[in-house]
Amino acid sequence: MKATISDSLEESKYKKVTDLNPEEEIAPGSALCAGCGGLEGMRLAMKVLGENTLTCNAAGCFTLISVYPFTPLKGSWLYTTMSGPVPAAQGVRDALDIRMQKHGLPKAEDLQVIVVAGDGSTNDMGLSPTSAAIHRNLDFIYFCYDNEAYGNTGFQHSGASPLGSYTMTSPNTPEHPAGSEQTKKDLFGIWMAHNPPYLATVSPREPIDLSNKFKKAKGMKGPRLFICLSPCPTGWGFDPKDTHLIAKLAVDTGIFPIKEFVDGKVIHTKRPRKRLPVEKYLERQKRFQHLFAPKRRDDIIAQIQSNVDAYWEQYDE
Amino acid sequence: MLRIRLHGRGGQGIKTASQILGTAAHLAGYQAQDFPLYGAERRGAPIAAYARFSKNIVLERGPIAQPDIVLIGDETLLSDPMAAVTQGTDASTLIFINSRHTSHDLKQHYQLESLPVQLDISELCQKYIQKPMILSTALAAVGARLMGRIDLHHLLQAIREELGQGRLGPEKIAANLKLAEEVFQKAPSFDLEFSESDAGFSASRLVTLERRPPVDSAPLIFATGNMALRKTGNWRTHRPVINYEECNGCAICYARCPEGDIRMDTNDKPVIDYDHCKGCLICATECPKHAIEILREVESWN
Amino acid sequence: MELTRNKQIMLTGNKAAAWGARLAGVDYVPAFPITPQTEIVETLAQWFADGHMHGKYTNMDSEHSMFMAAGAAAASGVRVFTASSSQGILYGLEALHTIAGWRVPLVLVNVSRALATPITLEPDHNDVLSLRDTGIIQLHAETAQEVLDYILMAYRIAEDPEVCLPVLVNLDGFYLSFTREPVVLPDEAEVREFLPLFKPSQPVFQASEPMARASAVFGGGNYSYFKIQHHLAAQNVVNVYQKITQEFGERFGRFYDAVERYRLDDAEYVFVMSNSFATKGKAAVQHLRKNGIKAGLLKLSLLRPFPSQIIADALAHRPKVAVIDQNLAPGMGGILYPEILKAVYRREDRPQHLLSVIGGLGGRDIQEGDFISILQRLDEAPGDDPLFLFDEKDLKQFDQLRQIAGFPREARIP
Repeated sequence: MKATISDSLEESKYKKVTDLNPEEEIAPGSALCAGCGGLEGMRLAMKVLGENTLTCNAAGCFTLISVYPFTPLKGSWLYTTMSGPVPAAQGVRDALDIRMQKHGLPKAEDLQVIVVAGDGSTNDMGLSPTSAAIHRNLDFIYFCYDNEAYGNTGFQHSGASPLGSYTMTSPNTPEHPAGSEQTKKDLFGIWMAHNPPYLATVSPREPIDLSNKFKKAKGMKGPRLFICLSPCPTGWGFDPKDTHLIAKLAVDTGIFPIKEFVDGKVIHTKRPRKRLPVEKYLERQKRFQHLFAPKRRDDIIAQIQSNVDAYWEQYDE
Repeated sequence: MLRIRLHGRGGQGIKTASQILGTAAHLAGYQAQDFPLYGAERRGAPIAAYARFSKNIVLERGPIAQPDIVLIGDETLLSDPMAAVTQGTDASTLIFINSRHTSHDLKQHYQLESLPVQLDISELCQKYIQKPMILSTALAAVGARLMGRIDLHHLLQAIREELGQGRLGPEKIAANLKLAEEVFQKAPSFDLEFSESDAGFSASRLVTLERRPPVDSAPLIFATGNMALRKTGNWRTHRPVINYEECNGCAICYARCPEGDIRMDTNDKPVIDYDHCKGCLICATECPKHAIEILREVESWN
Repeated sequence: MELTRNKQIMLTGNKAAAWGARLAGVDYVPAFPITPQTEIVETLAQWFADGHMHGKYTNMDSEHSMFMAAGAAAASGVRVFTASSSQGILYGLEALHTIAGWRVPLVLVNVSRALATPITLEPDHNDVLSLRDTGIIQLHAETAQEVLDYILMAYRIAEDPEVCLPVLVNLDGFYLSFTREPVVLPDEAEVREFLPLFKPSQPVFQASEPMARASAVFGGGNYSYFKIQHHLAAQNVVNVYQKITQEFGERFGRFYDAVERYRLDDAEYVFVMSNSFATKGKAAVQHLRKNGIKAGLLKLSLLRPFPSQIIADALAHRPKVAVIDQNLAPGMGGILYPEILKAVYRREDRPQHLLSVIGGLGGRDIQEGDFISILQRLDEAPGDDPLFLFDEKDLKQFDQLRQIAGFPREARIP
């Protein structure tokens, strides 16, 4: 009996955590916070992407991944500016292509170009350059660590800050009981409208799902975009040991849908069977504590719940 | 001038402690200055804050190299050369350590030049605010008392002012005030001289830099992966310890560790890299078999 | 168009810039349009599309993105060219500081255009001089020939193993960018001998050479090290420039210096100027000389690094010197005036009178009469206050416009 291509793809899939690449592509010792969910996501992603990579970094928490004279990466690193990592990726990609085509650079010298940027850069000033790069069909992988605020500067409001969250620049007051009154930007939808070859959300709590998505993306060309939920003990206000618990609740309540967009279709790869009420997720984080005390804000909690329900209704089976 | 240096970790309230001290001294009629030193480090990493008090205008800025008082909120920092908590101290420096150990044991164990002042303020923090390592109030109270020049009522007023600016409710502030009172009573007092010294007015030894090649003139790192040279094990206040009798080698702890500090050995058992483990304790929380215990780091030398 | 040996043809300043990039064998052009620079990138786009140039031309989404791509490509081992102007330079300013610190070689052209507000089209030099502290090398061109020649030399400077910095070539919008004049197109083979195809002298991104570039540096001392090194490298370009211009001159017969000394030897009056308006200054010098007035002109070509010593030597024993700044730092005055003052301050042989003149803002013409007014002011003992080249005609014309715009407002309120 002949094995089909899909069989062999199926076989090479990650099925359990012991299938993960045992090599660590990011050495320990960085100055990132203990329990950083974004670092866990990037660690798992780099395990798949390997070392022949160049990571273009935007100003943000992950600037601290490499502080002179140290770098944790086996591959290359380029610190750029807050809105500059994607254009820098363009420059590197173009240069390597030119050298291979025009100057005889061996294919083995090629690099997978990766952009690493936080949600602030990604949703705000980096959005326009990224839109242009997807439009140009730039061959790169974008890893957005989404901790839903400008984390590196001490947790200020970003385009990804969710409704009802306290940040340093969306404080809750009697006049503004919700904290942030804006809903989180639909970055997935914005990117999807560009029709990239691959787009996915991932969670550090789902290493198998994450690894398979990066593996799939690694085998493709063009812009491949990832939004990684990045529970942030420091900014969200929970004990670092609970990073994965918070990540799990984000998925189980349906607040953070785990999905991919490929071949023109959205597929939810980790669909919660029965969604938990959103407050199970909210109540564990200091940034939402004003929704529960001193007075419970059922109106705001209900609004958050109804936004989540409305999202999932679109995909009712 | 009286110069105080405070040591702790990100997230322990060290900056707030320096601010309470600054405000208390200001209320008591002194010229005061307080500030944290922000590095690239994050929650859990060693940090320092500073305060200066004087009868006259404070004509100094920036880090304090030779402190009169050092307040060490987190004892684990004493074993970390990078934290340099005793730097610039001599036998005349008053060193306070938050510890369960006696002054004599601390002096011997950490090879200090003089007998440190000791008090287990974590225990008192646990008692009043149920958070043993939120040290802002307690460490400030120790500092105020050691100086011997700040009255309790100025300290309490400073705590009200400084904590009232945050998101703390009135009950929590009241608990902090009680905590401050007890620490203030328990800590010893000294009547420290205000030294108006001016160490070092000799010329700095400036050098003329030679032009170096471009590759040596831009921030470039060729020793890729060298980050492991930085040991972040000193961030840890608690240590995860694997009970290998219970461990079934499922590798969940390995998969979940953000730092990649857990590897699976040849027998498919996880091994923790304590040189780098920051002590987030995700592994202990996530272990399906509950086979990872949590130990307080400072208890290890008893 | 086929290249023939050392042919002289009519070219605009912009076309001369494009020819410079083409003759340099540029591999990569990330681009973004802006008036009056657009003709450069349009020309290059066409040449890449036609196969006259090989490599890649990429339409970017902003100047900030364009400069990031340019710097990253230079760090990845190709010869890079790009061009911008005015608002675009400012939009990309963060990126320009950033890539200058990367210490990567590339050449960019700025076509000068005055800055908003008010938005306008014609040139002055506030745009390019806003880059004066980036550590990017700056060459300012008077003629289309200089534009072309400077670009070829700029690559030699940028790629010099001791330098490794971006080099900017500046030309004035309209007065030079859209003005055609004869330009000698050097033979491509000869250019290649002067400027071989790019071989990076520095480590560049590729799989066998992993590295981290531009990582955060903390600690003022550590930061100072890199900044001082940047300064030392930029300063050294004064020497590198002289070596390269000498070689260029011997090969192509056109000799350049950091400054041009135009009839300075016995000059009593000196105009210090740069860029295309220096031509107007030279005309005025000729005219004044015919009338028995010993005038001369010092043209600034190498603006960064600032060749203080060369300038001080050129101005030594010249009694009356007017620095004509085609820019304005409101609340300070001209930008180059204090730089010239700095250059001559320590010298016993410095000029007796040094006058600051602000003229040519937003492309306002500088006419013969203006030079006479400058001479008159130089004969008085000028203070530090600048002389503004703004005359009765300017005022009259403007007053007509403001009436149409509805001024004075009281007249309109019933």
